[in-house]
Amino acid sequence: MTKRKDTTLKPEAETKTQDSAAVAEAATSKGIPRRTFMTGTAATVTAATVLPNLRMARAAETGPIKIGHIEDLSGNLAVYGVQKYHAALLAVKEINEGKTLKGGPVGSGGVGFTSNFAASPPVMGAGDKDLKYVDKGGALSNSGMAFVEDEDVLVDSGESGLLGREVELIAPDGQSNNNIWQQLTRKLILEDKVDCLVAGFTSAEREAIRPIVDQYKQLFFYTNQYEGGVADSNTFCTGAIVEQQVIPVVDYMIQKFGPRVYTIAADYNFGQLTAAWTKAFAPLVGGEIIEEEFVPLSVSDFTTSIARIQAAKPDWVFTLLVGTNQSNYYPQAAAAGLEYPMASTVNMAQGYEHRRFKAPSLNRMYNCVNYIEEIPTARNRAFVKRWYEMFPDDPYIGQMAQNTYFSVHLYAKAARLAGTTDQETVKKALESGLSIEAPEGAVFLEPSTHHCSHYIRLATADANHNVSFVREWPSIQPWWLQRVGVNLVKHKEYKQYIPDEDPFFSMFSKS
Amino acid sequence: MDVAPLVLSLLYQFGTGAAFFFLAALGLVVILGMMNIINLAHGELMMIGAYTATITYHAGVPFWLSVILSFFVAAAFGAVLELLIVRRFYGRELGALVVTWGVSLVLGQGALLFFGPFLPSIGIPGGSFSYGDFSFSAYWLILVLISLLLILALWWLYNRTPYGLQAKATMQNAEMAKSLGVRTPQIYTLTFSLGAGLAGLSGALLAPTVTIAPFMGQQFVAPAFITVVVGGAANVIAGAVASSAVLAAVKTPIGMAFGSFSGTVALLFAALIIIRIMPNGISAALQKYFNRRAGGAMR
Repeated sequence: MTKRKDTTLKPEAETKTQDSAAVAEAATSKGIPRRTFMTGTAATVTAATVLPNLRMARAAETGPIKIGHIEDLSGNLAVYGVQKYHAALLAVKEINEGKTLKGGPVGSGGVGFTSNFAASPPVMGAGDKDLKYVDKGGALSNSGMAFVEDEDVLVDSGESGLLGREVELIAPDGQSNNNIWQQLTRKLILEDKVDCLVAGFTSAEREAIRPIVDQYKQLFFYTNQYEGGVADSNTFCTGAIVEQQVIPVVDYMIQKFGPRVYTIAADYNFGQLTAAWTKAFAPLVGGEIIEEEFVPLSVSDFTTSIARIQAAKPDWVFTLLVGTNQSNYYPQAAAAGLEYPMASTVNMAQGYEHRRFKAPSLNRMYNCVNYIEEIPTARNRAFVKRWYEMFPDDPYIGQMAQNTYFSVHLYAKAARLAGTTDQETVKKALESGLSIEAPEGAVFLEPSTHHCSHYIRLATADANHNVSFVREWPSIQPWWLQRVGVNLVKHKEYKQYIPDEDPFFSMFSKS
Repeated sequence: MDVAPLVLSLLYQFGTGAAFFFLAALGLVVILGMMNIINLAHGELMMIGAYTATITYHAGVPFWLSVILSFFVAAAFGAVLELLIVRRFYGRELGALVVTWGVSLVLGQGALLFFGPFLPSIGIPGGSFSYGDFSFSAYWLILVLISLLLILALWWLYNRTPYGLQAKATMQNAEMAKSLGVRTPQIYTLTFSLGAGLAGLSGALLAPTVTIAPFMGQQFVAPAFITVVVGGAANVIAGAVASSAVLAAVKTPIGMAFGSFSGTVALLFAALIIIRIMPNGISAALQKYFNRRAGGAMR
């Protein structure tokens, strides 16, 4: 195992020093009296050379590096929040014990797995006179190393802690209440002066705190899967988004079960926008949304929704249900004899409904996930083992928990690369094309949109709630924000784009 | 689409909707309706019932026995709660409101700490049957039947037993009841304990249909309060039955036609209008109407 020595990112001011030196050279060569020039630039040069030292001085400050973490440890959303909190604890513990996940500023892609390949390369014509024929190169017999599958991706970081300091997690409880989220965000930024904020389950929570994050230019990781579209210079969205989850699963479901889709979604920005994406995208792959129903988060009796689905007779049901109350849909639908295939982006991989509810409530549920505990790779088994050694009583490791886990490691990587905890510098380091080997597979943080490419797997549960995988996409890019022209490296932005702003979708709709 | 299956489906939805409101309100009918304690721990009492049922069910106790067991566990818990805390807040409505809210926080968070974010669910007993395009859950029909039985049992308890008489007397005028030899402290404890037990019972009955989680009770609090307040205090049992029926009758057709969001909006609107035109609830309005009719007949 070769140890990577993280190179220090050159502070911006240093480059400036070189620039001004070059200007000085150019100026003297053009005949301006050197002495006059020097007095004029002295101030600039001093400032430029002193500033990075100041920055270093602040970075060398003693005391722990503080990672602020808000999740719902109580209330309707506690089932997800507790997992994410444990994930952050595990990552912080590993950083303090001198561990890091593999990866670095090496760009997209990553290590893969062994594979089968043909005995010889394909040959045009293959001895035949018909040149239009291309030989397959023989049966797929040779087994070999297509890529390396890591036994584990957790390696030594070369120090304990981060930049010689201990990492401390400050993790108050958001209590599933948006107002409390706002108070806690202010407290973490202003009182605790956290170096990095990792927070957010629902999109409502994220949108409640994002203005505060932007007001104080706080480095912020939002680790949930969500509806996509956030283009925010201070925010890094490490969860999977619609183009990585909705589009692959909708495509698969339409091919496999048919075009008529009934969407039942939680009635807030996540459900509404994900449903809008589905509606916009379905026509591109030959599907049709026959009915959309939005359910308030407080609803827990689904008798009427079930009857409506039966009356509409869809080919399959797209369920975007969130929270403890809404997951009641599954046992109630099963008890009422509703047997349509289902697809989702949130259920199973985050609320482990397939473990909580009696089979066959989740029979024929399909979900494109970037992580699920059942992923059968060696690195994931190692991660699951590490997790349950620390939290033996936990019921499940969900998708968002894994995202929080690798995001905290990703922060440590970026800070190490930057050589400082200065937030603006760390943000620049995060924009340097970092990839990280997460338990799911290689994850690449796309610099221009602050979103991640993910290893996506289409997971499904059978009648006994066993999970299997029916398709895999080793790397799906977060492409939509790039399509609408977002480039946060060049232009700062602080907004969320919605599908209506992109004529691409209305172009294909059959209205 | 055939009309007959649709009508049957609407009737089924109405029945289950009304049963849901009635069961959610069951314990609160006694505690808020009769004792006039704004019990914000109502949801957590239901949670205790659901947890008891779930834990005993997974320990091998038959489901129906575990439901009965959860009545007694919640009732015992209610009795302790009354003796230790609630007792000190009779006649101080706002004090009771705050203290029961505190109790609810302690119970919810305590359950999270002790049992974790979830317990494995109880599979819904009974199968399903279908008619036309629609299929129905047998268990919900059983819940409708049980609700009707509970209504009868409550009516019998409060109108045909010595306890019922003494409880009604105590709630109407405690001083007078006391001077007539009623042991009012015991009556208070017993009544609160009964309310808690009923909340636990309905929590256990609804447990198979919901997620078993520490804060699961909160989903029932709003429907429970709406049902009891719309029903009114003049005759709590009749009031709760009438308001469950009215609310389900508003929610079902609108929800079916326009989706559950519209159904919820319609429900809240209906509650608003009813409270506006009948400030003391449906039961008071009904009582007035019957009194007038009785008066008219006598004349």
